[in-house]
Amino acid sequence: MAIIDPIPVDQLDPEKFQTRLELAQELMVPDTLFIQIMAHAPGYGEALFDAMYQSHALGNVDHTLKEIIRVRLARLAKDDYFGALRSKKAQELGLTEARIEAGCGDFAADNQFSDAEKWALNYAKLMYTEPKKVNAEFYDLGKTFFSEPEIMELGAFIAFHYGLQIFMRTLKVLPLDAA
Amino acid sequence: MDTDPDLIDEAFYNELKEHYSTEEIVELGAFIGFNIGYHTWFGTLGFYPMFTPDGRLVDQEESARIYGDKPISHTKGAMQRATENNSDEAAE
Repeated sequence: MAIIDPIPVDQLDPEKFQTRLELAQELMVPDTLFIQIMAHAPGYGEALFDAMYQSHALGNVDHTLKEIIRVRLARLAKDDYFGALRSKKAQELGLTEARIEAGCGDFAADNQFSDAEKWALNYAKLMYTEPKKVNAEFYDLGKTFFSEPEIMELGAFIAFHYGLQIFMRTLKVLPLDAA
Repeated sequence: MDTDPDLIDEAFYNELKEHYSTEEIVELGAFIGFNIGYHTWFGTLGFYPMFTPDGRLVDQEESARIYGDKPISHTKGAMQRATENNSDEAAE
């Protein structure tokens, strides 16, 4: 029995959720299960999905880089749900499992990643393991690779996804495809 | 959730359901997760609140002096520092 029973899709208000359910099926991060769980709290299904979609699928920072970061964070959070999901858009852009694995491993010594990508991966790595190292000097280095809006995009993306991964971890759910 | 998420298991949620509705549990869980993520990130940005505990608009330098370099209770110095500074300005 699920800790939180997902609301059946046919019981979700189509006016609020139809487009979001379609976007979820199109991107698969999150899948519709996330909406079905968050929709228990009025307004949350819409707001949290929108923020998740905006921060991951839209914006100026490379979506495939954010996808690697997202999987890395899910593993840190020990969240099986988000850790198993894969962005269809990132796959279509050419992101492979091998590159995701490389990004989740010792990326600093891996020449397939540019210095900008290494900084972004390190940003995600340090944020919840050694946040004191994410200091003014660290941000100064980041500004040589990314604009301030892009750094805000990355930071908000990392914070938002990691926070919800921690919550989803406790619910012990799996992606719909794997459940 | 922040310090020992393994303890938040099915039994924990069953106990929670005695006190809160499913709607409220999802609301609480998402709220807590969101805050875990954002507090750490915001901490790296080095921002301080725009207002003192007694409601004065201050610059970042003064706010840093009032609130200190790590989050603590407002009653452990921040209130006093904000009030002292306010009294000094009034005297001038």
